[in-house]
Amino acid sequence: MTAPTIKLPAPLFAKLSPHPFLLRNLTSAADPSLPPARTNGRGTQDTRPLHIKASSLSHAHGSSLVRLGDTTVLCGVRGELLPVERIPQFRPVEGTREDVESGGDDGVIAGRGEMRDYDLLVPNIELATGSAPQFLPGVPPTALAQTLSTRVYSLLHSTGLVGVRDLRVWCNPKKDGEGKEGGEDVKMEGAEEEEEEQDGVLEEDRVVAYWVLYIDLLFVSFDGNPFDAAWAAVVAALRNTRLPVARWDPEREMVVCSRTERRKLDVRGLPVACTAAVFEEKELGEVGTGVVEGRHWLLLDPDRLEETLCREAITMVVDCSDGETRIKSIEKQGGTSIGRELVRGFAGIAEKRWQEVKKAMK
Amino acid sequence: MTATTAPEAALGVLPRSDGSAKYSHAGYTVTASVNGPIEAQRRDEHAYEAHVDVIVRPAAGVGGTRERHLEALLQASLSQLILVKNFPRSLIQIVLQVEDSPENDYVNTKLVQASLNFAIMPALMQTAVLALLSAGVPMRATATATAVAVVHQDGAKRTIVEPSPREIETAESVHALAFTSHGGLLLAESEGDFTVKEWDDLYETAKGICCRSAPAKEGMAMVLDDEESAGTDMRQFLRSTMESKVAADLHWK
Repeated sequence: MTAPTIKLPAPLFAKLSPHPFLLRNLTSAADPSLPPARTNGRGTQDTRPLHIKASSLSHAHGSSLVRLGDTTVLCGVRGELLPVERIPQFRPVEGTREDVESGGDDGVIAGRGEMRDYDLLVPNIELATGSAPQFLPGVPPTALAQTLSTRVYSLLHSTGLVGVRDLRVWCNPKKDGEGKEGGEDVKMEGAEEEEEEQDGVLEEDRVVAYWVLYIDLLFVSFDGNPFDAAWAAVVAALRNTRLPVARWDPEREMVVCSRTERRKLDVRGLPVACTAAVFEEKELGEVGTGVVEGRHWLLLDPDRLEETLCREAITMVVDCSDGETRIKSIEKQGGTSIGRELVRGFAGIAEKRWQEVKKAMK
Repeated sequence: MTATTAPEAALGVLPRSDGSAKYSHAGYTVTASVNGPIEAQRRDEHAYEAHVDVIVRPAAGVGGTRERHLEALLQASLSQLILVKNFPRSLIQIVLQVEDSPENDYVNTKLVQASLNFAIMPALMQTAVLALLSAGVPMRATATATAVAVVHQDGAKRTIVEPSPREIETAESVHALAFTSHGGLLLAESEGDFTVKEWDDLYETAKGICCRSAPAKEGMAMVLDDEESAGTDMRQFLRSTMESKVAADLHWK
């Protein structure tokens, strides 16, 4: 005799006790031969389809719209000129333009210091009200938003995605060549127009201004895995960014921007973030106490329901564009299920993800 | 300033809190206070477990986004260690005040910095664990952390334990790893440019620092271990700090 069972519709079961609901789905008691499936129908290693659309904003210098399942992020990059006289404690760049620009790897490292010291990259993340139920209107930026923007900021600098040589504005941009053409020039404030030939006033090369890139991310809809989506949006937007050609006007002693001429940013490499969460069999999992641990599943690209049920997560940022897999960042926190072996194995998963994202970027 | 100095710690430095600790190593000095279990605010209240609240205050200025990130990392790690299910609907608050941090002589240090700083992670983790022990909060394990950097020097790669700010600036990759006292990998944060193989080697190095296997009692093995024990063993350090504190407290008996 079996006890009478109560049948609950799936959405109700998920709402009442999400942890057993996901566990039942993964263990699939009905047919143990089947691979474990998640509540959203994906396998444990399946990701949601990624759609990337570039230049969707008309007023930004570069933008992208990234959809990762139901997570949608809009990213806009806007450049603004920062004259060096406005920088407190500015240290002039030594050497002529040719010297500095042709500098190899050392130049890049020195450049990172410039970008960091003068804050030339300013990412900001906003989790829009209504993008997910937990984001309430009229509150200061949540801990999640702050954490995300720190991670994006840090990764932007550590990967060296944007080189500082694209952001410098020099005083004598190669005497004759490029300075002349470029139609009408316009002041950054857009006040007056000017058209004049620049005679070779032989002055020493110096940096007169920097471009500051304001990278704004808006989560239109939030369904888990915010970092992967945000990072893909940042990379796509920067690859799409075209800054106006800026030059120093010695007559008016200010930097003027070309109205027609635009220059692409040189984005180095293609770092791709890959996140997985660890779902543990035991609710409120116990950290390794030496005793037998419960089963756990690595859920790639977790959605919002899965994220609330998982405590441990790993994010790995890889770049395979040089042929060899280079890891740019590992972030693993919240538990001890992911040990050394799993981190090593996860690099393979991240490589696969890199191929997928690369395809989507095109 | 450098890692060559041994870590120092004192327990129970603050009279009014339930538990406190002061820890200094590699140029960082951190004081922590722990209060708990205390009543939780309604929005933090959880029906089945205690809420662990971590607050990180920088040495100068107010905390920014970087501190929020450190708090999130510590909160995720410490709530795994504390037996949170023993105290439903309550709060365990850990306040970490950075008192001193090493300065980079090469640049004008800005007050507010948004980028991550992994070098401070070990000091924060060790202080938090010591303060939790001092407060007598039940935990299932302790944890120790360390920071490691890989620098390119004279064509060869060299691993630096507890790097200075200048070394971090020139390093190829920087890593912070934390292990539980059972040897599980609790936290792994890395950034820079490295391969799986390099990470694997660093894992070994970090594990050796955080939880070296217990030293053998035999005289023979002790001799062999000598050169290895030149470095610090964090788990042993935590243990000896607690032992001396307990011995001092029970001195009157």
